[in-house]
Amino acid sequence: MSARNRELTALVPVALLLTAGFAAVFAQEGARIDDASLVYGAYFLAVCLAAHIYLRVRLPDADPYLFPLVALLTAFGLVMIYRIDPDLARDQANWFVLGLVLFALTIQFLRDYDVLERYRYTIAVVGLLLLLAPRLPGIGQQVNGAFLGVKIGPLAFQPAEFSKICLVVFLASYLREHREVLIVGARRVLGVTLPPLKHFGPMLVVWGASMFMLVFIRDLGSSLMFFAAFLALLYVATGRFSFVAIGMAMFLVGAWFFASTVPHVHDRVEIWLDPYAHPKGSGYQILQSIFAQADGGLFGKGFGQALITIPGTDNALLPAAQTDTIYSLIVNELGLFGACGVVMIYLLIAARGFKIALIAGDGFSKLLATGLTAVFSIQAFVIIGGVTRVIPLTGVTLPFISYGGSSIVANFVLLALLLLVSDRARREAGAEARLGGLALEGR
Amino acid sequence: MDYDPISVALKFGFLAVLYLFLLWVARGALKDVRRTAMPASDATGFHQVAAVAPQPAPDVWLVADRGGGLEPGERFDLIGGLSIGRSADADVRIDDRYASGVHARIFSRDGRTYIEDMNSTNGTQLNDATLSGEAELIDGDVVRIGDTELRFEAQA
Repeated sequence: MSARNRELTALVPVALLLTAGFAAVFAQEGARIDDASLVYGAYFLAVCLAAHIYLRVRLPDADPYLFPLVALLTAFGLVMIYRIDPDLARDQANWFVLGLVLFALTIQFLRDYDVLERYRYTIAVVGLLLLLAPRLPGIGQQVNGAFLGVKIGPLAFQPAEFSKICLVVFLASYLREHREVLIVGARRVLGVTLPPLKHFGPMLVVWGASMFMLVFIRDLGSSLMFFAAFLALLYVATGRFSFVAIGMAMFLVGAWFFASTVPHVHDRVEIWLDPYAHPKGSGYQILQSIFAQADGGLFGKGFGQALITIPGTDNALLPAAQTDTIYSLIVNELGLFGACGVVMIYLLIAARGFKIALIAGDGFSKLLATGLTAVFSIQAFVIIGGVTRVIPLTGVTLPFISYGGSSIVANFVLLALLLLVSDRARREAGAEARLGGLALEGR
Repeated sequence: MDYDPISVALKFGFLAVLYLFLLWVARGALKDVRRTAMPASDATGFHQVAAVAPQPAPDVWLVADRGGGLEPGERFDLIGGLSIGRSADADVRIDDRYASGVHARIFSRDGRTYIEDMNSTNGTQLNDATLSGEAELIDGDVVRIGDTELRFEAQA
């Protein structure tokens, strides 16, 4: 079966799952099973098919599973958000379509993605400006103590979502060029391999940027996400575990220092360590999130069964259910099995992404695919780890599932870049295999 | 709490379809992993740069054996590396209809000498084995491009 036919086949069960999800939510809300779920399912399938046909024309060799897996995440998100608030789900569906439009535009105009390498410093500056934007007076917005949003006129978005792509592109292109000097110039000091000081500069800049995010943007999650993705790239580029260990040590020291001096970060860590100290105050969200997951059991309570607001009031039982704690809501309604399913989708996306990096032909493609996959998977880890109290809870979105336009649109751009790398890598690998086969036959 | 049978059925149906789908995708991924896990040794060129201190480089030459319009016994100094091919830009210009414009290159790294096939059409043979990517050259190695044979010589 060709790659695109595989993709087409995979989209059918995804649309089926969306339909079943909506049907279950409707069945719960006053037992009115009407045609609406079928209509939504058909609409979703039609939108996915449009994207699929576009891929068929533009990227015929791209990875067949990535798009269906992402569509499945979006389906999860749409069903869950609809179940919280139908109006939000309508917004989310619009964002989904807009995301696909940007996805198509990225593929259209960045077909030759090597262009990105040429503009790497411009891209890096844009990425840093995007990070800074929420602190600028007039357009910056403060959400729960963190500076995450930007509002320019009617347009509001979270720039960190876009800047992660910029930074990955920059790092991939920078490390592609400098990885050899990083390795060859390395010195052993006291049994630890240290990177050469001259080329250590960018490492310090990235470390500084993530510390800066901790202090000025107060965004613990994005800070962790950026730095972890950077270390993943550094490891893949140089193969030196000691560089990663040094980076981690630097991050931990910095994070510890700022956690004890910056009040907002300090609070987050305190809540994480002891949420029971203020069960009705600061610890409320994380505690409710854990209770909701425990309440789900093995198979969950069923679609539409979870209590999101305290009955008879408007007070939230599960705060920020459509964004931060949407994972807890899924676990509550679908149980441990549903939760494992969601985590498996992310794992499979990561596996496909790293496979693209494995078969890609040149260093930039390899590092780009690695970086995009790493930043995406780490984002999922940061928020799932947050609501399960593995790490402090932060306001990072669950990619493709959480409510939020910036997140959906930015992640579709990320997916477009991955598929672009994949298409070229698989086409080259395929051509090589065919040539190799001919040469063998001729002998 | 009442359990609506339809909603329970839909929940389990949803989980079943979800897992079947994921299993199907994972199966494809596993197959790929098995396929790509095998010959990746020098497919990437990553991790291959050894971080040893440069040793005093030995004198290295490429000596023409036969073919390619070269005088047998003609010697090419390899210090700094050179390219082999049919085009006028190649350092060692060989007249061989099976050779590509820039067919292969030889370069040194940390005191060792390597040959790399530059994605040539007909490939490079190193001691009668097809060269994929790059390989280290040691004294006496025979490089064959089409009908041209060249011998690698190193003197410490």
